[in-house]
Amino acid sequence: MASAGQIEKPGPTLMGSAAIGWLPTIAIILAAVIIQITIRPMLGDFYAKVLLDIGVNIVLAVSLTMVNGFTGQFSMGHAAFMAVGGYTAATVMYYGSFRLFGEASMAGGVLSSMMSDREGPVPYFTRGDLLFLASTLFGGLVAAGCGYLVGLPSLRLRGDYLAIVTLGFGEIVRVLIQALTTDALYDADEIAATPVYQFPKYIGGALGFSGLPFYNSLFWSLGLAGLTILTAYRIKSSTFGRAFLSIREDEIAAEAMGVNTTRYKVRAFVIAAFFAGMAGALFAHTSGVQLNAGELGFLKSFDIIIMVVLGGLGSISGAAFAAIILTILPELLRQPAFLVHGWIVAVPLIAGGIALRMLAARRRADTSIPKLLIGFGVAVALLAIAAAIARSRDIDLGRYRMIFYALALIVIMIARPQGLLSVREIWERGLWRGLGNWVRSLRRETGEARP
Amino acid sequence: MTGTEPILKVEGISKAFGGLKAVQDFALTLNPGDVQGLIGPNGAGKTTCFNLLTGVYRPDAGRVQLNGAEVTGLRPYLIAGAGMARTFQNIRLFPDLSVLDNVMLGSHLRTRQNMTQAILRTRFHRADERAIERRARRLLELFELDTRAEEEARSLPYGDQRKLEIARALATDPKVLLLDEPAAGMNPQEKGELRGLIDRIRREFSVTVLLIEHDMNVVMKICETITVLDYGVTIAVGPPGRVQSDPKVIEAYLGVPGEAH
Repeated sequence: MASAGQIEKPGPTLMGSAAIGWLPTIAIILAAVIIQITIRPMLGDFYAKVLLDIGVNIVLAVSLTMVNGFTGQFSMGHAAFMAVGGYTAATVMYYGSFRLFGEASMAGGVLSSMMSDREGPVPYFTRGDLLFLASTLFGGLVAAGCGYLVGLPSLRLRGDYLAIVTLGFGEIVRVLIQALTTDALYDADEIAATPVYQFPKYIGGALGFSGLPFYNSLFWSLGLAGLTILTAYRIKSSTFGRAFLSIREDEIAAEAMGVNTTRYKVRAFVIAAFFAGMAGALFAHTSGVQLNAGELGFLKSFDIIIMVVLGGLGSISGAAFAAIILTILPELLRQPAFLVHGWIVAVPLIAGGIALRMLAARRRADTSIPKLLIGFGVAVALLAIAAAIARSRDIDLGRYRMIFYALALIVIMIARPQGLLSVREIWERGLWRGLGNWVRSLRRETGEARP
Repeated sequence: MTGTEPILKVEGISKAFGGLKAVQDFALTLNPGDVQGLIGPNGAGKTTCFNLLTGVYRPDAGRVQLNGAEVTGLRPYLIAGAGMARTFQNIRLFPDLSVLDNVMLGSHLRTRQNMTQAILRTRFHRADERAIERRARRLLELFELDTRAEEEARSLPYGDQRKLEIARALATDPKVLLLDEPAAGMNPQEKGELRGLIDRIRREFSVTVLLIEHDMNVVMKICETITVLDYGVTIAVGPPGRVQSDPKVIEAYLGVPGEAH
């Protein structure tokens, strides 16, 4: 009886069931197309830009999670892979466009446009898009190659060597680009006369690589974000994910159980570098961004690390959420007039949270979800108060936004040192399951209370 | 000679840490199906022996042959792949992973899928993952841990953690299983169960067992041959009864009356 028709319990094993074959990949690409075609025109330029940044940041945070979260190594040079991928793709794109199309201006279709006022009928996909896709992939591959060269010697060693080596690597990349290269070539004839192997010399130097076509769009950025999450999830939920996580959990035991720890650490590192390189490629071709190695130094790496730690080391959804929150938060803080209306969110959150808390206390149910609601509500309320005071005194709160940003980080890390989701995914344990259990515990209690 | 090839043949391995000779000229022969014990006072070098056999340390001298293949000084994952699995004296589970994932990791070294297949979720990958999970659940059933499969390994009681470590080691499909103090921290009833369990896995998985144990009751009852170490030197080898009455062994454990060290 127990063996034949028994249904296997779905549990918090890392094994997934829904993500089968090509279907999710196709769905992600389709969703990205739909967002670009239907939602992009409805959004203002500002919101579209925030969404664009969210996509790129998700790629960066989720890819770094594979190293710092899955295998427990500590890379401090993720932005360097972004720089390598970005500059590589930019070089291919810029000089490739000149050589192939005669000019470097944007020649992409609807899917590549972040401009809302393009004239005339625009094709969906052009040879420019194809070149952009190719150079993005190439940027990712070159970054992955660098990841291999950096990772192989440093990941053989245990401990903090990787942190030091990656920090050094990041600085080397930055300095090399700034010191060894010179201004980009702008003259079509000159570009035509320059041999291909010399192009990497003309990528902007200390002033940055300007004149790049702005191909990045919601299609590219959100599409890549979706594919990065899918890839990370599929790795995590496979035997290779278990191998990665076992290294972080106990390297000696992992090795004794037959895991070639060096090989897997290098693999995680190379995959992460590949995605960071592609994120860099998108970043380089974003409207309003000038590709400058100076901005892709260790400060940028720390930004990504903060996202990963905040989301919970090892949690893909956690890293993605943290990327979203930390992209929106500084923009929100920039707009005090908007923040004043935080009451609209804060009051129902706090009131609802307190009501649920009382209900839960009476039923002796878990109070963590109401607490979370109250905490979030209080945070929003405090921001609203600060914004209101600042407005009455004529202070520009936006100038102090980094203080609030830092404060928010400190408060979150004190309240949840393991990060928002620790190692699990939101659908495994996080809010959903907590909410479900909590509702169930309430229902059970009410059921008994009824006569 | 019975004509069977020894499954594990250790010839005179030694290891020194600086001036301390932790293990000297250690030799051991395990025939298929054996259950042998390795005992000795604290600090005698038992765990160091295990670390030398499994590749955590590289021996300064001597040879280790596993199932006819030379594995001396190989890295631990290669030795695990060659068919030697172990547990640890101070339990080394993967605490944040579920009980099931701990055992499923044990099957990792026998998987034939590659990472691209995992990322593309091919049919082969899915079938392989299902097989790994089935196998892991069977092992958990055997160790009566199946009801806690979804819990984090860290949440298990001590005795269950020891059992989980053995289950994880068995998932690597070993020919030789090294158990480092499997009964440590167990109560008398659990110790009794453990004896039955070791006997059962020896038969069902046809593994050969070498164990380190402090509990003489356990060692004497399940081991056919016992090797006694003291200060890194083998002082006695033989069946339990003979070893127990060996004066050198008694001296090592109790000291010689009247002799001042």
